[in-house]
Amino acid sequence: MKRILAFSVLAATIVASCATTGTTTSSSAPSSASTATGQHPKIGLVTDVGGLNDKSFNSLADAGRLQAQAQLDVTTSVTESKQQADYVPNLTKYAQDKYDLVIGVGFLMQNAVWKVATQFPNVKFAIIDGAPNDDAGNVKNLPNVANLFFKEQEAGYVVGVIAAMMAKNKVGAATHNTVCSMGGIPIPPVDRYIAGYQDAVKTVSPTTKIINGYSNDFVDQQKGKEVGLNHIAQGCDILFQVAGGSGLGYIAAAKEKGVYAIGVDADQIAVAPGTVITSALKKVDVAVFQTIRSVRLSTFKAGDNSFNAANGGVGFGALDKIVPADAKAAATQALADITAGKITPKDTVQVKP
Amino acid sequence: MTQLQEPATTGPGAERPAPSVRQLTFQFAAGPAIPVLSVVIALVLGAIFVLFSGNDPLRAYAALVQGAFGTPYDITETIVSAIPLVLTGLAVAVAFRTGLFNIGAQGQLLVGALGAGWAGAQFASLPGFLLMPIVIVFGIGGGALYGGIVGLLKAVRGVNEVITTIMLNYTIVFVIHWLLQAGPMTAQNAFGTPASTPIGAGARLPVIIPNELVLFSRLHAGLFLAALAVAFFWFLLWHTPLGYRLRAVGLGARAAAQAGIDPARHMILVMAIAGGFAGLGGMIEVSGVFGRVYDGFSSSYGFDAIAVALLGKNSPLGIVFAALLFGAFVHGGAYMQSHAGISSNLVAIIQAFVLFVIAAESLVRSLTRRRGARKPMEAIA
Amino acid sequence: MTWEMVVGASVFAAMLRLAAPIALAALGGTMTERSGVTNIALEGSMLVGCFFGVVAADRTHNVWIALAVALLAGMALAALHAYASITLRADQIVSGMALNILALGLTTYLDYQMYGTTGTPADLAAVPDLHLTFLNGIPYVGEAIADQNSIVWASLLLVVALQVFLFRTVLGLRWRAVGEHPRAAETVGVDVRRIRYAAVLASGALAALGGAYLSLGVVHSFTDGMTGGRGFIGLAAMIFGRWTPLGALAASLIFGYGNALSTSLQGATVGDTKLPVQLLGTLPYILTILAVAGFVGRSRAPAADGVPYETEGHA
Repeated sequence: MKRILAFSVLAATIVASCATTGTTTSSSAPSSASTATGQHPKIGLVTDVGGLNDKSFNSLADAGRLQAQAQLDVTTSVTESKQQADYVPNLTKYAQDKYDLVIGVGFLMQNAVWKVATQFPNVKFAIIDGAPNDDAGNVKNLPNVANLFFKEQEAGYVVGVIAAMMAKNKVGAATHNTVCSMGGIPIPPVDRYIAGYQDAVKTVSPTTKIINGYSNDFVDQQKGKEVGLNHIAQGCDILFQVAGGSGLGYIAAAKEKGVYAIGVDADQIAVAPGTVITSALKKVDVAVFQTIRSVRLSTFKAGDNSFNAANGGVGFGALDKIVPADAKAAATQALADITAGKITPKDTVQVKP
Repeated sequence: MTQLQEPATTGPGAERPAPSVRQLTFQFAAGPAIPVLSVVIALVLGAIFVLFSGNDPLRAYAALVQGAFGTPYDITETIVSAIPLVLTGLAVAVAFRTGLFNIGAQGQLLVGALGAGWAGAQFASLPGFLLMPIVIVFGIGGGALYGGIVGLLKAVRGVNEVITTIMLNYTIVFVIHWLLQAGPMTAQNAFGTPASTPIGAGARLPVIIPNELVLFSRLHAGLFLAALAVAFFWFLLWHTPLGYRLRAVGLGARAAAQAGIDPARHMILVMAIAGGFAGLGGMIEVSGVFGRVYDGFSSSYGFDAIAVALLGKNSPLGIVFAALLFGAFVHGGAYMQSHAGISSNLVAIIQAFVLFVIAAESLVRSLTRRRGARKPMEAIA
Repeated sequence: MTWEMVVGASVFAAMLRLAAPIALAALGGTMTERSGVTNIALEGSMLVGCFFGVVAADRTHNVWIALAVALLAGMALAALHAYASITLRADQIVSGMALNILALGLTTYLDYQMYGTTGTPADLAAVPDLHLTFLNGIPYVGEAIADQNSIVWASLLLVVALQVFLFRTVLGLRWRAVGEHPRAAETVGVDVRRIRYAAVLASGALAALGGAYLSLGVVHSFTDGMTGGRGFIGLAAMIFGRWTPLGALAASLIFGYGNALSTSLQGATVGDTKLPVQLLGTLPYILTILAVAGFVGRSRAPAADGVPYETEGHA
């Protein structure tokens, strides 16, 4: 009897606290008292299931959010999704609380953003790496949604130029004229990087051997290292990782064997100094920052927003001192050529595992 | 580890006549109920952590409760999060009741989802009254098949189900990678999202709460399927001869053998039933929430199910409450992060404390309550 | 597909590298279940060992201290489980699961707080590989074992040591008795609680060693959740290995071999068709099922495994 009483007391407490808290728009930090009039915009960021520390898009997007919070006089908040079914409620809660801009990270959110953006036409949304998808799976652009796309193949291309130059000229430890890459899983955001990389190598140094592989994982570092050791055993000297956390293992293999690696998404030169020669940058943080600023300045542009070489949305990161001047010059030239439209890097992988 | 020759570590205990729903609820509430004290202990421990992290525990907990139950929308979302956990919880519980440890609910759910997703797309043009039953059958059937394999391997080759279920869980994940990324089930218009072809409109579980009542609610008819599954679980185990035999097997193979029951056949059957529950859960997620099979949509339903089943004492209403508790943590936890700035990992830590304390408290209580009564397994050994 | 890809020396070298953490977890599981306690929080102990080893290596630049801290962290988590399971006689599965959730939440949280923007430092004190140069001449075996990490060797030694301990020493006999008939063991004067506590703590230390191997021996960094289920695979290996250290090793090697194949076979063709990369990932799991179904069959847990024990004269 006592236990039933105890249980009922607990249940009653829960119900009572519900009654007192009432509506969703209660006072809760970090949002300030003012609502959406553009005066002090509220920005919400909903991440993918990888968590804020995924060494990939979520962490970059969050960096952009924090930068905006510091510099743009906006209030921001972040929610990590624990499973895919959470996308809709996480987005909806921000919209219900009259946030000005809600950003979803990742192509898996395309349908969720479509759903919620349709229900809240007065709230602005942005998707990183996607466009709103309706229930039939078709793209349906909405006037309150910005689709932030990146041309990863352009970033892959310019680092591929560097790799090709070093392989061709047998710079430093790169003596086998072989380069390789490892993706997490063979999906287009990953494969576009690899496609551009391979395209550059084939163009700049057709004799260079190209190897490709996948770790089937974005987290498992040991798996990434095993693939790396396997590639190095086949002669690879320059390892391009496109596998998030697992890719750090790929870089670790390069470090152990004294060869070179190329980072991805963010500048990863500090991950293994002396091993990482450059990184293929996908400036998700810049895209997030600029989108937030566009809301602040009322210049929000719905529909496809492309981030590419031309507008500085992709590029190559800091160079290790081993990278010779001609490689750097070639990469810089390639970036300019892509911007001018003279080079269009391929976006489909040619050399599969 | 639990296996057939051993009594289930969290079996039904020394019950004799088939308990009614009322009795089961009492058993759950009166015996291993969650005394306020144990929950308070857990929350205090969690609060210390929150304090250390530089946040306000009261604000944190208020956000947790408000996020989970604050508005009608939140309540429906908590339920939506709980539904798959009910099904996978049943999948684990029905196996526990017969002395098997089913860690494979994760994989069984995925196979059910695949079956439902495939059938829903393949026959998309059929009208709802035809398509929905087909999809349900494929969902349950897919999961039952995957569970049955486990039972079969155990019955025929004696392979411990812990091994097969863990291995099969991982296997299906990779198979799904292949099916949805570069294989026969990849959607034509996926644009790189690893997802299957969307299912037909007739296969989608409708939202049961109209917008006038709760705006934008996602609460779907899977709720009814889940309720039916719970009722079926209760009826099967306590009101059918098969259920009696299954529970007898759970209490000790020797006793069961003496009663003329063949443990091997029943292993296959119960694992298939368990898989069927989980498969139904997968089908419900595809039909009610996503409309297609996304790679990785089920991150931990099968895994959390183990805790759900055990917290619920493998009893029908206990599983429902435990699933709601987990659903509350999911949905309320997100609100803790977005509106109180508490890291989602702190939410996980608090959840761990609650689980831990409940585990310790409830069993201590039930053991002290039963002190003096001989454990039924001793009678058999 | 070439022979090299399937049975090449590099494949066996990879097998050892991949099997080591699983073998350590399986050893831990064996030790505790042989004493009658089910500890599914091996994954959690492995993860905290992984993380706190890195923190200690970062702060002290001393790999031995780092290893010690890792082991202590794993034991601390296991101590919670021991207290819950042995003293409070709680449900061991729920306790284990709760601790796994705790470990993941705690390490992820601390990782973000301490290394969120920068990642773990690049030059962590590392557990060294053992370069057995005298083996370089030997064609096959030499290449397979010449450059393994010290912890790989440690785990092999531990397997042998614990096998001898459990099955050839008096204490080992008592240990197993506690797992089979605790009441009988107690009547002849064996301290059941003490052995069980020691067993659970030992399992935490062994699992943590596996975690430290990953973060300090293999990749020299930490990323959230990097143990990736190895603790659970270790449990499967423990059962597969019939709750013996040698069996645990054998099972871990089979799994490690399958894992190594899933890398070495990338790009291999069977006839004209390329093996899909994603399906290669299933190899270690399918291989394990086949091995157990084909060769091991039934395996029996210690009789009192997972059952909380009420000592005479205690409440």
